[in-house]
Amino acid sequence: MSCQGPMMTQAPPSRANPGLYPRNPPIAGEAAAIEAAQKGDPEAFATLYNLHKRRVYTLCLRMLGNVSEAEDMTQNAFLHLFRKLGSFRGESAFSTWLHRLTVNLVLMQLRKKGLSLVSLEETVSSSGDDAPRHDFGSRDPVLVGSVDRVTLQRAVAALPPGYRTVFVLHDVEGFEHNEIAAMLDCSTGNSKSQLHKARLKLRELLRNPSRLPQSPQPSGSVEFAQ
Amino acid sequence: MTLPGNIDFDNLKPEEFEHILPDLFATGNGKVSQDPRLQKFLAANPDCAALVSDLETIAETARSLLEPVAEPSERVWQNIQAKLQEDSALASIDDDYIDPGAPLD
Repeated sequence: MSCQGPMMTQAPPSRANPGLYPRNPPIAGEAAAIEAAQKGDPEAFATLYNLHKRRVYTLCLRMLGNVSEAEDMTQNAFLHLFRKLGSFRGESAFSTWLHRLTVNLVLMQLRKKGLSLVSLEETVSSSGDDAPRHDFGSRDPVLVGSVDRVTLQRAVAALPPGYRTVFVLHDVEGFEHNEIAAMLDCSTGNSKSQLHKARLKLRELLRNPSRLPQSPQPSGSVEFAQ
Repeated sequence: MTLPGNIDFDNLKPEEFEHILPDLFATGNGKVSQDPRLQKFLAANPDCAALVSDLETIAETARSLLEPVAEPSERVWQNIQAKLQEDSALASIDDDYIDPGAPLD
């Protein structure tokens, strides 16, 4: 399956595991707003924006790690939504459809910036700064009970972009490896490997939380290493 | 990368475990610590058990990140509105456009 662009008309999740749907339940008033917005009602489109702006923006922020870029991408996603809303037929949850559209736009942006997941996977050596250490032999305390979402969020932001992308898509957004492979135009094995390395890297980062950068601030001035 | 079918789970070595770990997480429900085939190995290798526990904790905590925590600034909606109005104005111009070269009725 080739990589699909953001202009796709429908994105029914082909997952065997229907886990994403319970994570994207219908929102009260959403169906009526979609129908009205498809007929050109600007108030209804504003309603859709208000219903979904936080999820879309948070997704962009997690994947891009930069407030300014995340806001630009959120703007871009909703402009695409406005133009493509007529092609939404309700075959998947609206939020799933919108998230797919957003993810594809973000991936296009990352590609423009030169992110290559495959090359990252194949070229990062185990001794590189970004590579997770394989420390089976260490006797550090385990993380159980010590990982809160704020700290994990900071650690995710500190991940190299390739690791971060796969981690956010799989562990946060709930996409399956075959879906991620299709989106990133890589193999399923590559997606599994990237995810595993991302988790290993996070484990390493979470063992030294004091070294983590602060979360992105609304000022737009915080950028993480790309 | 797929899980080989001929793995001897009873005599697994840590380096072999490390090699198959991404697939172990990708199969089933991702709860490697509860895989009955691995109980003996994990009991005998506490560092591997600790690694599995940590990675499961990270994956479970990651689910909580789905909930939105941030909101875009007002500027985003203002820009969207401005862009849509601009597009609408252009469309209106298109609708009103009369081809100066068209024959008169």
